[in-house]
Amino acid sequence: MKNLGYVVLVIILVLLLGKACIRRDIPETTAQTGTEQEEQLTLNIYPANRKNVTIDGVDYLQTDLHVGKFGGTLINSTIGEGPKTFNPFNSKDATSSTFADIMYDGLVTIDAVSGQYIPKLAKSFEVKGNDYIVHLRHGLKWSDGKPITADDVYFTWKNIILDGYGNTSTRDSISVDGKLPTVTKIDDYTVKFTTPKPFAPFLASLSTAIAPKHIFEPAVKKGKEFFDTFLSTNINPKDLVTSGPFKMVEYVPAQRAVYKRNPDYYVINSKGEKLPYLDKIIYLIVGDANNEVLKFEGGELDVIGVKGSDVPRFKERQTRGEFALVNLGPDTGTMYLSMNLNDRENEEGKPYVNPIKGKWFRDVNFRKAVDLVIDRENMVYNIANGFAKPLFTPESLNSIFLNGELKGYPRDVEKAKELLRTSGFTWDKKGRLRDKEGNRVEFDLLTNAGNAEREAIGVMVKQDLEDLGMKVNFKPIEFNSLVNKLLSTYDWDMVVMGLTGSPLEPNGGKNVWLSNGALHMYNMRKPAEAGVNLLPWEKELDYLFEKGATALTFKERKKFYDRYQEIIYNEKPMIYLYSPIRITAIRNKFKNVYPTSLGGVIHNIEEIYVDSEDENGHN
Amino acid sequence: MDIIKYILKRILQTIPLLFIVSIVSFALIRLSPVDPLAELRLNPSISQETLERERARLGLDKNIAVQYGLWAKSFIKGDLGITSNGESVAQKLKERIPNTLLLTSIVIFLTWLVGVPLGILAAVKWKSPLDRILTVLTSIGMAIPSFFFAVLLLIFAVKTGWFPIGGLTSSNFLEMTLGQKILDISKHLILPVTVLFTVSLAGLQRQMRANLLDVMDSDYVKFARAKGISEFKVIFKHALRNAVNPMITLLGFEFAGLLSGAALTEYVFQYPGLGRLILEAVMKSDINLVMASLMMGAIMLILGNLIADLLLIFTDPRIRTGGIK
Repeated sequence: MKNLGYVVLVIILVLLLGKACIRRDIPETTAQTGTEQEEQLTLNIYPANRKNVTIDGVDYLQTDLHVGKFGGTLINSTIGEGPKTFNPFNSKDATSSTFADIMYDGLVTIDAVSGQYIPKLAKSFEVKGNDYIVHLRHGLKWSDGKPITADDVYFTWKNIILDGYGNTSTRDSISVDGKLPTVTKIDDYTVKFTTPKPFAPFLASLSTAIAPKHIFEPAVKKGKEFFDTFLSTNINPKDLVTSGPFKMVEYVPAQRAVYKRNPDYYVINSKGEKLPYLDKIIYLIVGDANNEVLKFEGGELDVIGVKGSDVPRFKERQTRGEFALVNLGPDTGTMYLSMNLNDRENEEGKPYVNPIKGKWFRDVNFRKAVDLVIDRENMVYNIANGFAKPLFTPESLNSIFLNGELKGYPRDVEKAKELLRTSGFTWDKKGRLRDKEGNRVEFDLLTNAGNAEREAIGVMVKQDLEDLGMKVNFKPIEFNSLVNKLLSTYDWDMVVMGLTGSPLEPNGGKNVWLSNGALHMYNMRKPAEAGVNLLPWEKELDYLFEKGATALTFKERKKFYDRYQEIIYNEKPMIYLYSPIRITAIRNKFKNVYPTSLGGVIHNIEEIYVDSEDENGHN
Repeated sequence: MDIIKYILKRILQTIPLLFIVSIVSFALIRLSPVDPLAELRLNPSISQETLERERARLGLDKNIAVQYGLWAKSFIKGDLGITSNGESVAQKLKERIPNTLLLTSIVIFLTWLVGVPLGILAAVKWKSPLDRILTVLTSIGMAIPSFFFAVLLLIFAVKTGWFPIGGLTSSNFLEMTLGQKILDISKHLILPVTVLFTVSLAGLQRQMRANLLDVMDSDYVKFARAKGISEFKVIFKHALRNAVNPMITLLGFEFAGLLSGAALTEYVFQYPGLGRLILEAVMKSDINLVMASLMMGAIMLILGNLIADLLLIFTDPRIRTGGIK
């Protein structure tokens, strides 16, 4: 009798599991809800016009956006263990950068709508060939009351960035053929930068924070080692001297950081009142994503990024009118599949890739066949719950450099088979794919274990490729071993990976595309092998990236970057799969919220205010 | 005098032990395939030069024995070094230790306050309905995985809105009066304390019950009863004194768990204790931080045992007279 009970229980469990599986395998239903939901989540266009006005010798930026009420708090969150440093020049992780961005303004910033660079601490800037002349706003003050002048800008660039203090990624990104730009102070409010040769990506680097010279100079004098520990999170946040819209007043490790509004910020509303409206911003430091969702549901958070799989749950609660879900469009993250085109040998004279397999991977027809047989739609619906877009280009879908000519296409097994046939591949009686020499097509597909999304993609890729008679051994391996294989030992066949890029600056991806780049994973060359066995299109990519960086107007640059995307689209060294769509939830009590794909939800944080009538009982 | 000698001897004995623990932990972390720079290497905007500089700064370019030597040298000097992000390790630990101590000491205090009397009660009323009910309850307590229980309570907090969802203080903590602050912290503590209390109470109650039952069965208890001493005196004067020795050893282990015993619960409740800090350090192979926390754990364990042994000297005359010499 007792045993019977167990048997019944097990059967029920198995059935339930089976039912869950069945549901997942029907893409149609999920597909419908996906698109349906997407349509309901639309963006309002950011209507503000901003212009410079000078009142009593101070250069303000006036916004004509709806005049709001002062006061209130916005509670945001970051996942992880919180910032590692309050020194904006030392931050190597996303949280530290987020915290630094609130506190320190750069000379320019990105227009959240157009993606072009617009002045911030700078009142205006001019680009004349290799020269970038920046005019600062008059009358701006650091949070300790000292004026912000050209000395601060000159010091930041000369003594911190160009001298290689802290995190040198800015310095790395602006060096042209090993040469760095120079900076000169023209007068108290004018600074000139000169690049060694025309170099368009330089403008982006002007968004780097500017440091108060009187605080940072003593630290710089103590050397690089001291600078690495300068302004660590152990300090009292009240000692920070900052320029941003909010100033940190409290930092509780592993719990939160509290920011208070800067009463001397340079943005004013149409009535001439100084913004920001909000009194405080709080960043909760939350250890994991599930807890973050609970905190939002419990009313402890005001803004949250929503995962595709959580959207239905949020939609259900949205009807109560407490918050709105916002669709920010495709993310900058891209998922891709790549094959190892390496045809060289390691120090021991052994080829990195098995020559038989290498021959397949270097055959463009083979790569195209793989690309054609991959069912991107299915991935979008089954892995991202419909909250993603199929991707066919290396630039992400919200990139301002996206080549719109390169259209997507559906899965086509017949065409893929046709391509393989042209290259001499045949199928045996059991439907197994064999190459010209009769070798069975079988290879390993790697990804990093523990990343559920990539593991799911791997399984789907394996299934799709089996339709062509290929045998794919899917092996998720530990992240570090994978990185080691990709970047040091080069002994891999096919890999599922993701990279994040900038939607504004394709030059950031040069390490991936240049033939001697440090992340040129699909055909890595040791430094000694630079320029060896260049494929014709690799050569062209090298040329395009050099030209793209040195051309100055957007139109000219776009020509080069369009061509680079076309090459990748045609040659398929990396097969792009999809871009996730970013969904954010924000409470309705916040007004003047105009999310954009490039800027996110609170890009205009100084203009956002709380309408207390909409509080809904939330404190 | 003997006791001081004994303590000194014990402390000397710990030195080789700590040495071995440190070598094993260091080798384990360094030989594991976790590359602290893996994430940096996959970042398109980081140059080779920067990677080399970072490698040198973290000492990864040196031989593992040299790395260990450098670490050991500064450890002996009392310098715990800096994290891979340049923060002082000692400072980082100092931030978190009070929070963890607050949680674990409340839990230990409560479990002993409740667990020991319940154990005695169950032993005295052996095989009575009360004993059976307590057995069932403690079985449940032992059977619930603390992780799962914590998640359940968290969901409970979200649904009812009675408790804050994790953390230790509310976001407007700074503006509260002292009374409100105490109330706020207590509110945050209730759920994690409940989880840890339920789980550790069961073990303690059963231990106490078993010990006392063992003793109650012994000849001298029977003799005491036969003498006609009141049951109260039999239990509290004779039986309990002997049953308490294993409990003191247990207390030593609990002491060791003061800093590390609540990591899982801390993680679920996003409690700003050592657990989260160390978990992240391990994931990122932040060697100085991991080593500091492991050494701290080892020292606490040794210290806990030492304290327990010293307490035993006072409670158990057999050790007092025979053991030390």
